[in-house]
Amino acid sequence: MLDKLRPAERTAAHTGPAAARVGIGGPVGCGKTALIEALIPVLQRRGIDFAVVTNDLVTKEDAERLRRSGLIDPARVSAVEAGACPHTVIREDPTLNIAAGDDLEARFPGLELILFESGGDNLASTFSLDLVDWWMFVIDVAGGDDIPRKRGPGLLRCDLLVVNKVDLAPHVGVALEPMLAEAVKVRGGRPVLATNARSGAGIEAVADAISAAVLFRV
Amino acid sequence: MLPTLRALWQADGAFPSGSFAFSYGIEGIIALRHGLDARELKRLVSAALQHRWASYDRVALLRAFRCNGDLAVIAAVDREVEASTLVESLRAGSRRNGASFLASHARIGNDLAAILRDAVRSGECLGHIAVMQGAVWSSVGLDENLAQLTSGYTVASGLITAAIRLGAVGALQGQEVLADCLPLIEQLTMNETPPDAELESFAPFLDVAAARHAQADLRLFAN
Repeated sequence: MLDKLRPAERTAAHTGPAAARVGIGGPVGCGKTALIEALIPVLQRRGIDFAVVTNDLVTKEDAERLRRSGLIDPARVSAVEAGACPHTVIREDPTLNIAAGDDLEARFPGLELILFESGGDNLASTFSLDLVDWWMFVIDVAGGDDIPRKRGPGLLRCDLLVVNKVDLAPHVGVALEPMLAEAVKVRGGRPVLATNARSGAGIEAVADAISAAVLFRV
Repeated sequence: MLPTLRALWQADGAFPSGSFAFSYGIEGIIALRHGLDARELKRLVSAALQHRWASYDRVALLRAFRCNGDLAVIAAVDREVEASTLVESLRAGSRRNGASFLASHARIGNDLAAILRDAVRSGECLGHIAVMQGAVWSSVGLDENLAQLTSGYTVASGLITAAIRLGAVGALQGQEVLADCLPLIEQLTMNETPPDAELESFAPFLDVAAARHAQADLRLFAN
């Protein structure tokens, strides 16, 4: 029942988010959705209670792909349209994503982790710490081995850099080891992981990094 | 001066409220009417202000503003907005926009916003943006006139910003349209709004465009 109490007479609920919030950003086609698809069974096997929020640029493609994957309860996938601004919805104005996360927490009590997949963007994309506790940036070898040298803020400032599609390196003329070494160097030694989301290579290490950073499970 | 500064704070496009993701029918209109120019955009924004905002959103905002935080009244206005908004994507967009607006204010420590956010979560309220703005703005120190002006400005600037992002008009053309709309906003706020004012809206072109937009496979905005 509604009551007529003035705000000061009710208990204001300024509770912080109960679930850890992790951002996954990166350029179009780098494999963010594929990475999440690969992470889902790993997180499930580890008994982590999680949900996903996707930010699509012009469609609900990524959300629908995850919902239809059969990997996760479709109700645990929320879509937020980015209004043509993939930067804005995760950085300058993350409130739609915050509200989507709050809604998932309300619908799934006990939720431990929410993954926020950004819309495909460029190397300047970064997450607001109002939205996430920790975030990773995904690039792929097919984008070229000069990507680390370009030192975009996304690549430099993320908590974890993921270099995906490593299996393609020999086919696109990329020397993987020097590319990874350069990535580590430009990041001042902060973590870099190599993955192949399609085969699952490196995915356990990504799950380990998430678990250690925000779930405090080592 | 402080109420004026607070109104500027709330009208500023940098205040995070989720509004950037909604076009409130503009994307649908641009899809229907290719080649929409600045003159037509001005007519469209003026029509939206006169036939939707002034007699509908503004009235909902004022009723929520005047109730002094009474949740029963806020919820009743909210239900009226829900029942009288014909197009589903406009209803859903207004609720999502309102939820984002509340999320911001709740996180920066506004008690009423936190209570309203919880009321929306529990289903007691629905969270329509105009209603939430009215309620919260009364609690942050805007006076009634500033609340109306802020609302009218954010509606006009939101429509124009959407048109700019869709490439219909240039950024400077958009500012010209916005500047031309300011006297109209002022004039519309001068209408007396009695306590029992009904919510009235008649903007069929915008409604039809928004309804068509909801079926589009590709779209940049949520409505």
